[in-house]
Amino acid sequence: MPLDYQIAERALANGLRVIVSEDHSVPIVTVNLWVNVGSRHEVEGRTGFAHLFEHLMFQGSRNVASGEHFSALMAAGGRLNATTWFDRTNYFETVPRGAMDLALWMEADRHGHLLDAVNQQNLDNQRDVVKEEKRQRYDNMPYGNALIDIYAAIFPKDHPYHHATIGSMEDLDAASVQDVHEFFRRYYGPNNTVLTLVGDLTPDEGFASAERYFGSLPATADASRGPVEPLAPLSEPQRDEHIEDVPSDRLHVAFRLPVDDTPEFFAASLAMDIIGGLATSRLYQRLVRREQIANSVSAIAMGFVDGVSLGFLGIDVADGCSADAVEAAACEELVRFAAEGPNEIEMESAMAQTERGWLSSLASQEERADHICHHATLQGDSGYINTFLDRLGEVAAAQVQQVAARWLMPESRAVVAYLKQDGDTQ
Amino acid sequence: MTQLESAVDRPEVSAPEPWSFPEAHRAGLANGLGVVSYDIPGQYVISVRLAVPMPLDREPREQEGIATIMARTLDEGTARHTAEEFAELLERKGIALGAGVSESGLIVDLDVAKGHLREALDLLSQAVREPAFPANEVSRHVKTRLAEIDQERAQPGQRAALEFISTYFDAAERASRPSAGTRSTVSTITPQDLAAFHIANVLPTGATVAVAGDLSDLDVVAEVERALGSWSGAAAEVVEPREAARAADAARIVFLDRPDSVQTEFYIGCPGPDRRVEGGWAAYQVLGFAVGGSPNARVDAVLREDKGFTYGIRSGFRPRRLGGVFLTSGSVRADSTVEALRLLLEILDKAREGFTEEETQAGVDFIGKTAPGRYATADTVADEAAGLSLEDLTTEFTTANLHGLADVNAEALAEAYGRYVTGEWTVVIVGDASLYAEGVRGLGRGEVAILPT
Repeated sequence: MPLDYQIAERALANGLRVIVSEDHSVPIVTVNLWVNVGSRHEVEGRTGFAHLFEHLMFQGSRNVASGEHFSALMAAGGRLNATTWFDRTNYFETVPRGAMDLALWMEADRHGHLLDAVNQQNLDNQRDVVKEEKRQRYDNMPYGNALIDIYAAIFPKDHPYHHATIGSMEDLDAASVQDVHEFFRRYYGPNNTVLTLVGDLTPDEGFASAERYFGSLPATADASRGPVEPLAPLSEPQRDEHIEDVPSDRLHVAFRLPVDDTPEFFAASLAMDIIGGLATSRLYQRLVRREQIANSVSAIAMGFVDGVSLGFLGIDVADGCSADAVEAAACEELVRFAAEGPNEIEMESAMAQTERGWLSSLASQEERADHICHHATLQGDSGYINTFLDRLGEVAAAQVQQVAARWLMPESRAVVAYLKQDGDTQ
Repeated sequence: MTQLESAVDRPEVSAPEPWSFPEAHRAGLANGLGVVSYDIPGQYVISVRLAVPMPLDREPREQEGIATIMARTLDEGTARHTAEEFAELLERKGIALGAGVSESGLIVDLDVAKGHLREALDLLSQAVREPAFPANEVSRHVKTRLAEIDQERAQPGQRAALEFISTYFDAAERASRPSAGTRSTVSTITPQDLAAFHIANVLPTGATVAVAGDLSDLDVVAEVERALGSWSGAAAEVVEPREAARAADAARIVFLDRPDSVQTEFYIGCPGPDRRVEGGWAAYQVLGFAVGGSPNARVDAVLREDKGFTYGIRSGFRPRRLGGVFLTSGSVRADSTVEALRLLLEILDKAREGFTEEETQAGVDFIGKTAPGRYATADTVADEAAGLSLEDLTTEFTTANLHGLADVNAEALAEAYGRYVTGEWTVVIVGDASLYAEGVRGLGRGEVAILPT
C-alpha cells in the first residue's frame, strides 16, 4: 500500500539538509536533528564519549544557560530528549507551533556554539550522571551486560560496533574538556547534520526558519568517512558464558546480518521474525508452546551502516530444563529454516506484522520525524517512510531462505549465555 | 550566507493555537456494552480497547493472580480454534491483541490496520467470549508467571515496588499484594478455576469499547454490534469501591539487603488523592512535575544536576480508583545512599513551604500545552478512554481537567500538597545494608528494619 506523507527537502548553503513534512492534524511541530556521529566513531580509550557529549548538549551554550534547554522548552509545552546510538546522535523536541522558532534558535545555539559553555564542572557532573545511567541500566541489573557482551562476541576487536554506546567507566573517567572541544569541532556542524520538521507548518515556513537560525553557522564538520569494509558471517561459533546470580538461564544467540537498507537486510529481518519474533515463529511454537522448555523467545534485527548489521534471539530457559538442550533445538530449527525457507503463511504473517508496526510508528509525529531523519542521514533517502513497505513487499520467500542459509546458520552464531549459579543445567 | 554568529535574537513564543481533545461519539448496545469512538483523521492503525470492570479484590484470596492468568490465556485457544491456530489468524492479518488487568478491571487491547478491523473485532470477540483455557496452555502460563516472579525479585526497582506495597498498605488489603499473584496463589490455578472466574466476571454489562483512529467510511457502532452485540451474561454484582487502607505502621523505613549492589533503589511514598479530589486533579499533576517531573524539577536539580548521584529520580501522584499514593522512586550511586536519602526527604518535606509562581506556571504550561501532542495518536486516545471508563469517568474528565489548570496557582499548589504530604513517609530501600543501613539509621528518620531480598 503506497504511503504519501508529504516530504520537501532543501539544503542550506552551509550543507544543512532540511526536510519538512507538512501535517496540520494537530497544532504542534516536531524538530528532529540527526548528527552523523555515534559510538562507531569513537577511538580506543574514549568509548562512551559520543553519548557523554550528548549529555553536555543540555548544559548550556553561548546564549542558553545550563539546564535551560529543558526548562525553557518544557515550560513552552515541549517534550524533548536526545539519544546516542552506534551510528548517530539525535536531538528532538515536539513543541506547540508557536514555540518552534524558540526550539530552532536553541538548537542552533548549541549545535553552533556549544563550546562557549563547556567547562570542567559540567563535564564532571554529566560524567557522574552517565555513570549512574550505566549502573542503573547495565551493572545493577540481572543480565544487564548481555548486550555489551553480544557486541563484543559478534564483532571483531577494533570494529566500530565491538563496543557498546555506553562505553566503559575507565574511558568515561579519561574524557577531558579538550576531548569535548575536539569532538565538537570534528563532528558537529551543519554539514554533518540533518534537520527534519514535521507538523503544523508549510515547507516554505520550515525552510525560512531553518535558514534564519542555522544559516549563519559555518560548515565546520570534517568530511565524514565512508563505511568500513563489509563483514562476512562468523566462520565458526563463538561462546561467552557467565555463571551469575541470575533468576534463570538466558541465552542470546547472535548473528551478523547484511547492512541496513538493502533487500538482503529486509529479508534477514523477515527471517528473524519467522524464526523467533512472531507468536507463530518456529522457535516459539517449538520451544515455548510444544516442548515448553523455554518461557519466552524474542528476535530482533538491528540495521547498521558500517558494513554489517546485528540480529539476535533471546531465549529464557524454563525452570528445570537444560540450556544446552534448548540451544541444540534452536540450532536444529535454524538448519531446518535455511533448508526449507519460509512458507506462504509465514511470509504473509511477517509482512502483515511489519506493516502494522510500521504504520503504528508513523502514526506518531515524533517517530515519523525520527524515521525521516534516520534515512536521510544514513542512507541519503528522505522518502524512505513512503517506500519502505513497497520495498519490503518485493522481498520473495526465496530471498529470505538464501539470506538465512548464508547468515543464520548455527556455525555463524555467537552465544552469550547467562547461567544461574547452582543451576540444574550444569 | 556568512553573517556574524548569533545575529538572530531569541524568538518570543506565541500563544498556542486552540485545540480540544478528540470528540467522543457514544452509543450503547442492548447488552449493556458502551461504545465510544474518536475519529482521528490520518491515524490508519485503529486502536480498540475493551474495558471490563473487574476489581481485583474479586479474586479469591488463595488464587490471587487468577485475573492476570485469565487475561494472558484469553487468546490461547478458544471454542473454535487452538492456541496455535488463533495466533496464526491474528498474525496473518497483522493484528496485535493483548490483555492485562489493573486494580479496577480487565483491558483488552487491539491494534490493527483499518482494512482488517472487522476480522480483528471478530477475533477479539472470540477471545473474550469463548476462551477454552486448554490445560497445557494454562499450566505453561502458570509456570511462566512463576519464573516472572523470580525475575521481579531479582530486579532492584521491581523488588522495591513489591516491598513498597506490602509495607504501605494494610495487610488485609488486596493492594498490599502483587496484582499478578504470588508463588503460592498462582500455583493453584486450574483451567476450571479460570473458566469459572471468566464466566462470573467477563461480562458486557458496564463494559466499554473505545475505538480510535481514522474512522471515515466506517460505521463503528455497527462493527462493534456485529462482533459483540450477541454477547450476554448475568451482570456481576456491583460493589461500591472503597479506598484501600494504609497500614497502621506504614510510616517506617525498610531496608532490603542486596549485597554488593552498585546502586541503591528508593521507593518513598505517602497518601495522595484520586482524580475526583476536591479542588481538582490538575494541581497534583503540576505538583508531580514541579517536584520530580523533569531534570530541572526540585529533586533532580539537586540529586542529578548538582550532585551527580543519579541518572534521574521521578516523583508523581499516582491515583487509584479511590485515594492514591504520592510516590518518589529511582536509584542512586551506592556510596551516596545516606546523603541522597537525607536530601530527598528534605526536598519532599520542604515542598510543604510552597512553590514559586515560576515553578507553578512552568508546570501548568507543561501539562496543558503538551496535551495536543500527548493525545495525537489513536492508541493514546483509546487508552485514555478505556482507563477512565474503569473509574466511571469519560474523556470529558480529561478536557475538564485541562481547563482546571487555569485555576492552579502557587497558593493552590501549597494547599494541595500540604493536604496530603504530612511527612509520614513509607521508605523502601534496596541496596547493600551492611554498608549503609547504619548511616540511614543515623538520619533519625525512624526505625530501620533490615530484611533479606
